[in-house]
Amino acid sequence: MSVKIKLHRSLAKLADGQAVVEVNGNTVGQCLEQLATRFPKIKKRLFEKDGALSRVLEVYLNGESIYPGELATAVKDSDELDTAVRISGG
Amino acid sequence: MLNQKELERYSRQIMINGFGEKGQDKLKKAKVFIAGVGGLGSVTATYLVAAGVGVIRIVDQDVVELSNLNRQILHHDDDIGKNKVYSAAKRLNGLNPEVKIEAIAGKITEANISKLVAGCDLIVDAMDNLPIRYLLNKTAIEEKLPFFHGAVNGFEGRAMTIIPGQTACLMCVYRGAVVEGSFPVVGVTPGVIGCIQAAEVIKHIVGTGQLLANRLLIYDGLSMKFTQFKVKRDPNCQHCGSEG
Repeated sequence: MSVKIKLHRSLAKLADGQAVVEVNGNTVGQCLEQLATRFPKIKKRLFEKDGALSRVLEVYLNGESIYPGELATAVKDSDELDTAVRISGG
Repeated sequence: MLNQKELERYSRQIMINGFGEKGQDKLKKAKVFIAGVGGLGSVTATYLVAAGVGVIRIVDQDVVELSNLNRQILHHDDDIGKNKVYSAAKRLNGLNPEVKIEAIAGKITEANISKLVAGCDLIVDAMDNLPIRYLLNKTAIEEKLPFFHGAVNGFEGRAMTIIPGQTACLMCVYRGAVVEGSFPVVGVTPGVIGCIQAAEVIKHIVGTGQLLANRLLIYDGLSMKFTQFKVKRDPNCQHCGSEG
């Protein structure tokens, strides 16, 4: 399945400045893994050392939240993933 | 009941459909807790005081520093070294003396949070660190108090409204803490997000419009775009998983 991943500004810097990257995968997790394979600098921003989704990363599939336990969610052609990074300043 | 002076002061918002004198009276009877009077808290407190919320309780442990003044608009140059809650109270009283400001200089902790929010109708999250934000979220769920989240970094900000037992909470979306230090920010960002939080609070109290419930609104000031995401309750959430 061909899926577009929109990268948060801080992640795009690590993907040669690309704001949108097209990947192939059958699940949300596979799409993120392919992103990490293509842009190794991004990997540690996507995943913790144990392979879990990064604590500061948020993932949305077609505008709806995907939580760490839902990375096996299936994707379809033309689906869109968004990435956001947690912030906490006030 | 609103008196003649109040009817005149708030006349322009009373004119709004779905607001009216009834809505204004609800604001007058409301008691709002604002955690922090830094960048976000300065803005939310200013607009809630201007709108005529009856009582606003502000809590902050910090004193005003020079590096605060690019964004924390309730504090002025001659407040440096003073407790933020006192400089904030002074300005808020000047803006609208009809609103009662309860200023508490001190730290929010697990031991005192229940006492601090006692008697308040809702909590505004204007903190600058995750551990206290999580504590506020947990307390809001336990005490069943609506919780109005906002956060900023650089030109980016976000806001979300949590109705305990009904909507996703902060802990559904966020996970764990990270080491936090000084964060970059330009004053207009808490200006935008603080206004959104204040608008949410006013709508909730008056009972009009749609809240940012189960929705996370992200503001990107650099591209000047607002994006909204649907967020759902996490049945395994440590804070709200067993609620409602």
